[in-house]
Amino acid sequence: MKTKLLLLTLTTLCTGALGAAEAPKVGAPAPNFSLPAADGKTHSLGDFKGKYVVLEWFNPGCPFVQKHYKSDNMQTLQKEFTAKGVAWLTIDSSAPGTQGNLTAEEAKKQMSELKMGSTALLLDPDGKVGHEYHATNTPHMFVVDPAGKLIYEGAIDSNASYDPADIKGSTNYVKAALEESMAGKPVANAETKAYGCSIKYAH
Amino acid sequence: MIFSLRYRSLALSLSALLLCPLAAHSQKYQGRELVEARLLADVAAVAPGQPFTAGLLLEMVPGWHTYWQFPGDAGIPTEINWQLPPGWKAGPIQWPVPLKLDEPGDIQIYGYHDEVLLLVSLTPPLKIAGASVHLAAQADWLVCEKICIPGGAKVQLDLPVGAPATPANTELFAKYQERLPRSLPESGGAALHWDRQPNELKLTILDRSLARSSSLDFFPLPEAPTITGHPRRSQAKDGSVVFTIPVESAPPGLQSLGGLLVAEDLAFSLGKEALTATPKTASDGLLKLLLFGFIGGFILNLMPCVLPVISLKIFGFIQHAGDSRGRIFGNGLAFTAGIFAWFIGLALLMVGLKSAGHEITWAFQFTNPYFVVAMSAVVLVFALNLFGVFEITLPAAATTGLLGWSAREGYAGSFFQGVFATVLATPCTAPYLGTALGFAFAQSAGIILLMFVAIAAGMGAPYLLLSAQPAWLRFVPRPGPWMVRVKQFMGFLLLATLLFLLWVIGVARGIDAAIWVSAFLLALSIGCWLFGSFSTPAASGKQRGIVLGLVLVLVLSSGLYCIGQKFRASKIASSLTMEGWIPFSPERVQNELAQGHSVFVDFTAAWCITCKFNEASVLESAAVKSAFARYGIVKMKADWTNADPVVTKTLKQFDRVGVPLYVLYPATAPNQPIVLPELLTQALVLNHLQSAAPKVAASP
Repeated sequence: MKTKLLLLTLTTLCTGALGAAEAPKVGAPAPNFSLPAADGKTHSLGDFKGKYVVLEWFNPGCPFVQKHYKSDNMQTLQKEFTAKGVAWLTIDSSAPGTQGNLTAEEAKKQMSELKMGSTALLLDPDGKVGHEYHATNTPHMFVVDPAGKLIYEGAIDSNASYDPADIKGSTNYVKAALEESMAGKPVANAETKAYGCSIKYAH
Repeated sequence: MIFSLRYRSLALSLSALLLCPLAAHSQKYQGRELVEARLLADVAAVAPGQPFTAGLLLEMVPGWHTYWQFPGDAGIPTEINWQLPPGWKAGPIQWPVPLKLDEPGDIQIYGYHDEVLLLVSLTPPLKIAGASVHLAAQADWLVCEKICIPGGAKVQLDLPVGAPATPANTELFAKYQERLPRSLPESGGAALHWDRQPNELKLTILDRSLARSSSLDFFPLPEAPTITGHPRRSQAKDGSVVFTIPVESAPPGLQSLGGLLVAEDLAFSLGKEALTATPKTASDGLLKLLLFGFIGGFILNLMPCVLPVISLKIFGFIQHAGDSRGRIFGNGLAFTAGIFAWFIGLALLMVGLKSAGHEITWAFQFTNPYFVVAMSAVVLVFALNLFGVFEITLPAAATTGLLGWSAREGYAGSFFQGVFATVLATPCTAPYLGTALGFAFAQSAGIILLMFVAIAAGMGAPYLLLSAQPAWLRFVPRPGPWMVRVKQFMGFLLLATLLFLLWVIGVARGIDAAIWVSAFLLALSIGCWLFGSFSTPAASGKQRGIVLGLVLVLVLSSGLYCIGQKFRASKIASSLTMEGWIPFSPERVQNELAQGHSVFVDFTAAWCITCKFNEASVLESAAVKSAFARYGIVKMKADWTNADPVVTKTLKQFDRVGVPLYVLYPATAPNQPIVLPELLTQALVLNHLQSAAPKVAASP
């Protein structure tokens, strides 16, 4: 535990010291990672080379996440794009003892309860991948193109609120980025400010 | 984004009014009320037409926070949607200075703990029906500790109508009024400086009193679509504090951010985000400045340091008077192209250096001693050529009777003459040009380029005009043998220019440096003579090769020794005449002002001819000198000969990128320095001095 704490402190210090230089930039390659999933399998970003990949930071307790799950907005999006061959990785970076931290068992339950359409729900309790991507919010969205390049980073849509009534009438940036890129067009809004709850990282 | 915000407000109020479960009065979590919301006013009764302040008071249980207008990495700001009687107006939320809170994982948020009063100015209509008013608002917030819970409440307040308004809740409102950021004082613009770099913005706090505060912080207020990272604070050697704010995404031309400058117990608001050119002012302001650039470029032709080249050029036109019209126009075009080439090259260099983060200022080449040395060498070689020591195709070979000159060579000659004329012109910051360039340097690459093109067009216009209308050359004498004499005389003019350059070197680097440069120039002259005498077209190829080799060895070795070693080792020294003048420093200015003395600052450089002219004919004239003494105005000289960084910074504060600059700080209004024009007259300076004089001293 002590070493783990030390390691975490070091990671935090490093990310803090190096700041934005470390954050993956839109247009640059998305950093590879491997994480265990709810089903016990391990998934790597590299496994999905040649496919579009959506990364979605998740915390079932966060009202902003609930906005998109209770309204079925997120699931619809997941199903629409996984049907088009997109890999959708939902990532939970809540540290043990914080809101949204899930065991593999609990994660499995969440997936069926929420009727999630993700390719996998990945568990990142030490926040390693979250830090690597400089993910700050739930939900916080990233889109990676088939060449492994980051093409979108930021909010799920244009309306920073927790009210599900606001979903109708807002622009879904993830949908737009995927559709534009698939049509061979540049992504118009490639970087937006993510909104939501802070990710519950370990101290 | 505006649309979506509006939509959200609409949606929020609709859902609040109708059926949204989130809009509850209370917000219980584990049996605790997390936030209590109340609507208050700073008056006990409202008077028609009299604005007052209302406040949304949020009381959070310990450990929980609500958010500021910019929530930081996560969260959303509190919203107030007013439901006011008809005719009432509500202002924007005035946000007290928030706390910066760090969450695990390098997440930074801005919010309020315990209690906050969000202030809003309300204006009742001129007529209020009834004896009381009912004010209501839907307030929505997000409250977080380790987890986040949305909350909302319909808050309301009934107030009697009475005149005049009587104060209420004074203590609470005073406490939060005190916590509102102040607007930066008048002179505050000079206390800070924004610098845009490709992936970050740098905010430099020059004001010492602020910079000394160890807790000084910058809270950014980026406006969508701008996305910024966490500001990093660093201390510069000169005591100023620099905040580096990573820019992750921004509209083109973003130059500064809005935000708060937060010190121990006070905070300043830095206004709104600024872009280089908002569409409206851009077309208008830019056109005007491009016109200034054009006029400035034209005036460059009349500047003392270009004069010799102008004569050279006019002489060139005489030469071409016998040619065909097309050829004359071609030469005019080539010459203008030379001017354009230099300015565009310079603009590209500026853009490059600017993006590399260097302090770039007009005439910066002349503060680089090696540039001056190179210029000296070029001027000398041209002079020797005019004297006939050696002949190359430049710049006036035709006059020597070499009629076999090809048109192509002629155009090339004109082209380089254009370049040469412009090289000499740059240090003379003509009136208008200073302002125009000051503007251009804060601008994007495209505008800098445009600005330089405008200057080039201004400078090239007369030549192009003359070559297109060669008929006007009728008034110029016909070519003849006298031209050789004129050419030689031009050589002396160039030597005079060389004297000036050597003096610049001497002033900047001392007598030894000037002598070592002269020694190199001597070797260069011998080289030219060797080349002209022994490498003639009549000589054999072998001889020409040997001579060329000898010349190269001579020039290179003398260059390496005289310039590379001796000159390089020379010390930087500036010997502007300081008699009667105090060396400039911003602190000294403040000191004198504090003692009630008006201060006049002459920003000058040893190589600035306009400065010399102003000093000799105006500032050092008997009338002006005695006026300075009579009114007790302190005279300071800021020496920019070696591009002193403190002086550069001050120049920038006045939106200038070069000297001359004349600033008068009146003791009566120390924060409103008066900038005098670049070309001074005695009457003008005397007028200004009198206005800055202490009123008592004005009596005889």
